[in-house]
Amino acid sequence: MAFQCSYYLEPVDTRDLPRRFLEAFAAILAHSNYGPVLDTVSRISAHCARCATTCPVYQASGEPRDIPCQRSELLLAIYRRYFTLAGAIRARAGTAFELTEGYINTLAEEVYRCTACRRCKLECPLGIDHGMITHLARWILAEVGIVPKALRVATREQLEGKTHNTSAIPAAAMQDTCEFLVEDCRDTYGMAISFPIDVEGAEYVFFPAVSDYLLEPDTLMGNAAVLTATGASWTIGSQYFDGINYGLFYSDRMLDRIVSMEAAEVRRLKAEKVLIGECGHASRSAKFFIKTFCGGRAAPPVVNIMEYTLQALRAGKLELRPGAIDARVTYHDPCNIARSGWIIDQPREILRAICAEYVDMSPKGRENYCCGGGGGTVSIDEIRAFRTGVGGATKAEQIRRTGATVVVAPCANCKKQLREVCEDHGLGHVQVVGLHDLVLKAIVPPPAMQVAPPDGPGQSGA
Amino acid sequence: MDAWIDLARGPFFRLSLLICVLGLAFRVGNAALQMALAWRRAGDRDLPIGSVIRAASQWLFPHRLIATRPLYSLASFLFHVGIVLLPIFLAGHIALLRGIAPPWWPTLPPTLADILTVVAVLAVGALLLGRAASRAARALTTAQDLAVLGLLLVVLACGFLAANPRFSPLDARTVLFLHIASGDLALLLTPFTKLVHCALVPLSHLLGEVGWHFPAESGRHVAIALDKENEPV
Repeated sequence: MAFQCSYYLEPVDTRDLPRRFLEAFAAILAHSNYGPVLDTVSRISAHCARCATTCPVYQASGEPRDIPCQRSELLLAIYRRYFTLAGAIRARAGTAFELTEGYINTLAEEVYRCTACRRCKLECPLGIDHGMITHLARWILAEVGIVPKALRVATREQLEGKTHNTSAIPAAAMQDTCEFLVEDCRDTYGMAISFPIDVEGAEYVFFPAVSDYLLEPDTLMGNAAVLTATGASWTIGSQYFDGINYGLFYSDRMLDRIVSMEAAEVRRLKAEKVLIGECGHASRSAKFFIKTFCGGRAAPPVVNIMEYTLQALRAGKLELRPGAIDARVTYHDPCNIARSGWIIDQPREILRAICAEYVDMSPKGRENYCCGGGGGTVSIDEIRAFRTGVGGATKAEQIRRTGATVVVAPCANCKKQLREVCEDHGLGHVQVVGLHDLVLKAIVPPPAMQVAPPDGPGQSGA
Repeated sequence: MDAWIDLARGPFFRLSLLICVLGLAFRVGNAALQMALAWRRAGDRDLPIGSVIRAASQWLFPHRLIATRPLYSLASFLFHVGIVLLPIFLAGHIALLRGIAPPWWPTLPPTLADILTVVAVLAVGALLLGRAASRAARALTTAQDLAVLGLLLVVLACGFLAANPRFSPLDARTVLFLHIASGDLALLLTPFTKLVHCALVPLSHLLGEVGWHFPAESGRHVAIALDKENEPV
């Protein structure tokens, strides 16, 4: 039987697939901390369906296979059958199911319909983290060669390619882009910004989502403007400058290797801290997993650029023009930084300082809905109709209800997804931007940064 | 019938209680041990214990529960109140624990106990209806989910009828036997069915966090185990 998913895969070796799947599952249980979780979850799951009430994918699709608890059951059934005493007894009695290639195919399809937003965990009285079970299932599948091609090809380039980044941007091209942005910022906003490259001994090494160099010039100019205006000690490393980490979406093994490259670049430059740009998953993978894989408490601390900007604003090091943005603005919480409660109020405080009319979505913060492109699915263009039509339906309605014409989404993945969601849901008038795109228009540059009287689009609002 | 009742509330009750207590102790001990070992392996040992406690404790109060699926959740809350308080604080149950329960152990007033029982019985009915009415819950419900609810319904309903024989369509001794026997069975099954969540829930919230704290060498060790150390991405 051919292995088929609704997303592209590189050819899968299907010889002995169930056996190889179980070997990978066993190896991961032996060397990770998932075993105790599965052992407890497989006993206590009450099937109360509360998770169904909170999952945006199920709410839009109405298909039972999209209920988080149902998806988790696919993996838990394998765990109970092959890794518990009760499963062994049932097998002896001839009443247990046997893992087949078809079952693995179903699992592979279902776990990439989930956006791994972990909203369902908030609604589970038993504390079951279905996002974690999906995360584990994806890792096991990856070890038998089942990974969406888009994620795997990007990770291959990042870890083993010449450029060491997911967008395959050579270091020289990155530097050219930075030089262009310096000129653009001077001409458009009358500000002299800089992008220090390979400065040894800086406090921060900056890792934006590398796609920002191609797609988000205003975000990067805004980042650099804040860092320049506040006199930050920062640099970009020419040997490794990508914050993206698709390992978070499909394999802890890749997650480890990618954050280790970030930590290595910080060490090479004799810097102190990791500064992550506007990207939810890049921030979460660095913040929570550099510590895990790169030395525990001795690992370099991780700061998100929004935290930095707010701290500078509060300390009086950064001056922003109140009411500089006259459009009606709302804010989308990227799941990877909001679900844990890490970054929720910081961007809102900045936005309230610069927007004439700021409105929140409902629900927001920890309970905000995913854009529909989480968990790496935004990179899988083959499933765009599902991703925006089903995954993004709730978010589109949230945006519509705010009446906002500008949605701030401080995340490369969310921005791509939300632009497509707006396009597919009749919200073409809505502009999706990064937080620092607006900060760039509101910043009052210190005299040393002023190179010409500011004019251009920045002064008329978003 | 009296001999059956004596058997059910004598040796069978003691055996069921023993298996329940030892079984739950094993389950909790095992989960705690596994969690401690996982914690020792973790590369990052900073645990957001405050947020874990907040997340777990919010379910002790109905305000969070009734925010979604309000009727089903309210039924679930009231059912749990009854099923937790009645076995532990009913005078008749404490009498069975003579020599184990201390003399100061509080007991529920009979009227309150009756009210809690009736509410819990109605709540079981509402839970069954709620499962039937929700497409998602219907898709998830297993035979064990229904069997466990059914068993607890028998325990509760027979308990009420045994205490209030004037409402009982059956002979009082038969109802009492059914109550004790079904109660024994529920105790016996607790460590082996999803009823085990009564003891594991606080740990499950903590485990949900510990699971994300990976061992620093997990990826490398998995690669070695699968002979993939030098395999390209």
